[in-house]
Amino acid sequence: MARRPIRSSGQVALKTGSAAAETKDVKKGASFYLEYIRKDKPAFVGLLIIAAFMLFAIFEAIMQELANVIGQPDLGWMLLPTNPLALTFDLKLEPPSLADFPANILGTNFQGQSILSRVLYATPHDAAASVIVVGSAIVVGMFLGTAAGYYGGWVDEIMMRLTDAFLALPALVLAIAVAILIGGGFTALLYALMIIWWPTYARFFRAQALTLRNKAYVEASKLSGSNSFAILVKHIIPNSVDPIIAYATLDMGTVILTYAALAFLGIGVSSDYPEWGAESAAGLQFFPLQWWYSIMPGVVIAIVVVAFTLVGDRLQDLIGGRTTY
Amino acid sequence: MVSNFGLFVVRRAINAAVTLVLLIALVFVLLHVLVPSPVAMARIITGNPRATPAILASIIKANDLDAPLYIQFYNYLIGILHGNFGTDTLYHVPELQEMQAYLPVTLELVVVGQIIGVLIGLYTGAIAAANRNRAPDYGMKALYLTTWSAPIFLVGFIMQLVVAYWLNLLPATGVVDPTLIPPPAVTGAPIIDALLAQNWVYFWSAVQHLILPAFAIAVIGFGLVTRLGRASMIDALDRDYVKLAYMKGLSKGKVVWGTAFRNAMIPIITLVALLFAFSVGGAVIIEDVFAYHGMGFFTVNAIYNDDYTAVLAFTVITGIAVIVANFVADILYAVADPRVRLT
Repeated sequence: MARRPIRSSGQVALKTGSAAAETKDVKKGASFYLEYIRKDKPAFVGLLIIAAFMLFAIFEAIMQELANVIGQPDLGWMLLPTNPLALTFDLKLEPPSLADFPANILGTNFQGQSILSRVLYATPHDAAASVIVVGSAIVVGMFLGTAAGYYGGWVDEIMMRLTDAFLALPALVLAIAVAILIGGGFTALLYALMIIWWPTYARFFRAQALTLRNKAYVEASKLSGSNSFAILVKHIIPNSVDPIIAYATLDMGTVILTYAALAFLGIGVSSDYPEWGAESAAGLQFFPLQWWYSIMPGVVIAIVVVAFTLVGDRLQDLIGGRTTY
Repeated sequence: MVSNFGLFVVRRAINAAVTLVLLIALVFVLLHVLVPSPVAMARIITGNPRATPAILASIIKANDLDAPLYIQFYNYLIGILHGNFGTDTLYHVPELQEMQAYLPVTLELVVVGQIIGVLIGLYTGAIAAANRNRAPDYGMKALYLTTWSAPIFLVGFIMQLVVAYWLNLLPATGVVDPTLIPPPAVTGAPIIDALLAQNWVYFWSAVQHLILPAFAIAVIGFGLVTRLGRASMIDALDRDYVKLAYMKGLSKGKVVWGTAFRNAMIPIITLVALLFAFSVGGAVIIEDVFAYHGMGFFTVNAIYNDDYTAVLAFTVITGIAVIVANFVADILYAVADPRVRLT
């Protein structure tokens, strides 16, 4: 309650654009963001692609899980044009065509499997990776970063040097090292990505906490006797989340790219489950002649990541366009 | 002001050193989780599959492998500072030897790629800013958002397919034409070695092979430069001194490139260091796609062969390179913009 009068009387809030925006829409929910994205055509298309990708991934994951539980493998590819695992050698290495639509629009691989089917079959992994890795990074980064920024002192100093050490390594290189350490498999790869992904978010939340801890409403809350944990949870964290959303959307695309790059190198890939990056790598030996085998899975990755980029970019305009990463 | 600057450099140097030690600690922990027993480590160092327990024991003793962890960490740290990155699991030679062969090739590739990327990015960024919210601006944005979002290997494949295989302009894979006799290795970087030996045939072949992968690295990185360049250029174009330049009657080109551009350059310095880390990571994939035998290619092979120490050595080297790059960028930034020294 004490929050409103202090805010509106403070001249500081009017100084910068983002601060002004912050005061204007304290209560912006999902509908606000949706409306904002809808006004920009490319971002709206991006949002549709993301929605289609996520929805399909969820349904496909459910079907695959069902197939596993019931013991009826056919269920796993009920949503796909063809069976992504069956071998049909008389169809091998067909170029993309509209014949037998839509199975052949991306061509077939060296075992006669439709590349489209295999790419669609792999969507649950990529969708899960993007959501889980970014989600965990936000949670871990939120607690560590906010604590570092709010308390300052040696906690802050240690946190910052630790994130420096993590950030000194390219994500891909660190992911390779950690993934090799943990061992193969999809879950191991997820853990590897989760271990390396939080430092950026920790820095992000720290920067937010540094600016927010001197705000009048935090002072007021302190004076009214709240303990620091309550202040963190009630004031600092809710007000930090806004700018993170834009970055996190962009970052989900980056997770998919890194995941694809790791799969391209054969890390965390198993022979009975297709991966976007691994499909592309498998096409290398047929490369210049049967180019679609390598390129088409890459194009699909690019389309999905572009969608995340468009939406994230639009959201970034909302918070003032300036981010520190 | 001099002492202020000196203090700034010292503080940044201490930060960089602490980061470096933490990084090495991180890798040390990884290594010890991977190869926990002293005997396993000794086997890696000998390279002799039939080494007797007595030999292994002597190696353990010679290398202090059974010492407490903090002593081992101290030895490891001192070893790395002396260029001892451990012994290769696969080839059983010191990692340093491998790196001397592969690292210069990668550095050449990344540095050239990065220079191209930054130049393209600055140019496109300035054009986008000067035509804010008009067709060229949107065009640039569409371009960099696409290249930004494309997987690195796709960029490589498309360049290979179009330039090398369809148009036949440049070679698709390799560092140089393998039929040529290499010049004596002075630096290890093929182009520089060829220049030093004045071997022009070799030089030309190396340059031709470098163009495609270097451009691939430029393509994956130029978007960030464009974006920041545009933002800081727009910032600069709004300043009073730019209005003054217009009032003096200078042409738009002179104002954009002569006045605003120089001031807009400053924030780019930090970005270049950041981009360096990004490019080295990208080089792993690029080198794999283009069969360019550098550090990345070596690392990918190490991954296939479960050559842990090689991967970790690559990790340390990359980390050191990035920390040094960041440190240099911080100093350069402070030279270019004295205001940051106060923080």
